[in-house]
Amino acid sequence: MTIPEPLFDYEACLLACARGERQALVALYAQESARLLGVARRIARDDALAEDIVHDAFIKIWTRATSYDPQRGSARGWVFSVTRHLALNFMRDNRLEVQVSEDSELALQPLANLDGSLALDALEWRAGSERIYGCLEQLDPARRTCIVHAYVDGYTHAEIAKKLATPLGTVKAWIKRSLSALRECMG
Amino acid sequence: MTFKPEDNDSADLDALAGEYVLGTLDAQQRHAVEQRLPHDANLQAAVERWEARLLPLNDLVPAQPPSRQLWPRIERSLNALNVPAPQAKASWWNLLPLWRGLSAAGLAATLVLGTVLLTATPSVSPPTYVVVLVAPQDQAPGWVIQASNRQHIQLIPLGITQVPTDKTLQFWTKGDGWDGPVSLGLVKPGQTLSLPLDRLPPLEPNQLFELTLEGPDGSATGKPTGPIQFIGRAVKVI
Repeated sequence: MTIPEPLFDYEACLLACARGERQALVALYAQESARLLGVARRIARDDALAEDIVHDAFIKIWTRATSYDPQRGSARGWVFSVTRHLALNFMRDNRLEVQVSEDSELALQPLANLDGSLALDALEWRAGSERIYGCLEQLDPARRTCIVHAYVDGYTHAEIAKKLATPLGTVKAWIKRSLSALRECMG
Repeated sequence: MTFKPEDNDSADLDALAGEYVLGTLDAQQRHAVEQRLPHDANLQAAVERWEARLLPLNDLVPAQPPSRQLWPRIERSLNALNVPAPQAKASWWNLLPLWRGLSAAGLAATLVLGTVLLTATPSVSPPTYVVVLVAPQDQAPGWVIQASNRQHIQLIPLGITQVPTDKTLQFWTKGDGWDGPVSLGLVKPGQTLSLPLDRLPPLEPNQLFELTLEGPDGSATGKPTGPIQFIGRAVKVI
């Protein structure tokens, strides 16, 4: 069981980790390990590898907690960023480009629905009441898909181009313009 | 898009930060960004804004409970981190060669003192003079000379000195103001030698002793000709 996010004090937790209080890291693990593993698994596409990444992430959270600065972003965001970038670096450093196969097509099914139709899982949309979703909806569906696949699946430009059967240059331009549009929309 | 010309740099920076957080950069580009981050406050701020903007997308991903082995594994790694001090900068405390050298020096000192004490025990009077003969290259002690009076010395090996088969060690001494070194005879490696100085002036502080490598019968000239193997000066002990 995890505590609803607003009730879990991520910042106090990281500050306690920075003081060397092991119990704080245990609490963070209980609170977020499953979600962090989900994020890592989605990018790594392998259970064992995803656990390796979450292992490394918790070690890094513990050893680098002193470098977390509350002025520069949310504590929960920091924890997710540490994990995501470990996963992304691992995939890029090992050139683990995913061949977009039927398996991954299947795995992508819930998100592929972002391609236009709004037949998305209601639960997922409820979780996504933040501003980013409103701004994503203003994007052309294909471009929205690019952004979501890149972020959630850790796809490279080339992988997205293959997945959408769209020229690489087009995908790069879409992502660049979509990021610009998101920044304007979100401030 | 309505960027003023002066916004171009910051727009590029923001685009780079956005693609970094989004995850589309390749390995080389990612490492370049990560190396720049600690020194580039603007890039850092741009990355932080993108992290905050895109963070909610993580909620689209279903959670996956970790295996039971994961936390114990993390805990083992944390314990391993805590046992030795983290890699501190190489301070003198962590310099292995220094400690090797000091322990070798300590061992040598122990041997010298031990030998001095052991061999001193039978004699009634303690040694009044001690000489430690060291190798000139590395200062490694090889022999000790002790004298309980100024007319008699003992040469004591601290180990077996390696000598080529066609060579011998010759023992020499020279006091301040002497014309040159005087031979005290040939020495076999590992041999303890007891020598009266009856034909020489009494032992004096700072008197030089050395062992040189000479031909099988010793120096033909009566003066040292071969390389010095061990050398030292007499020290008066209280």
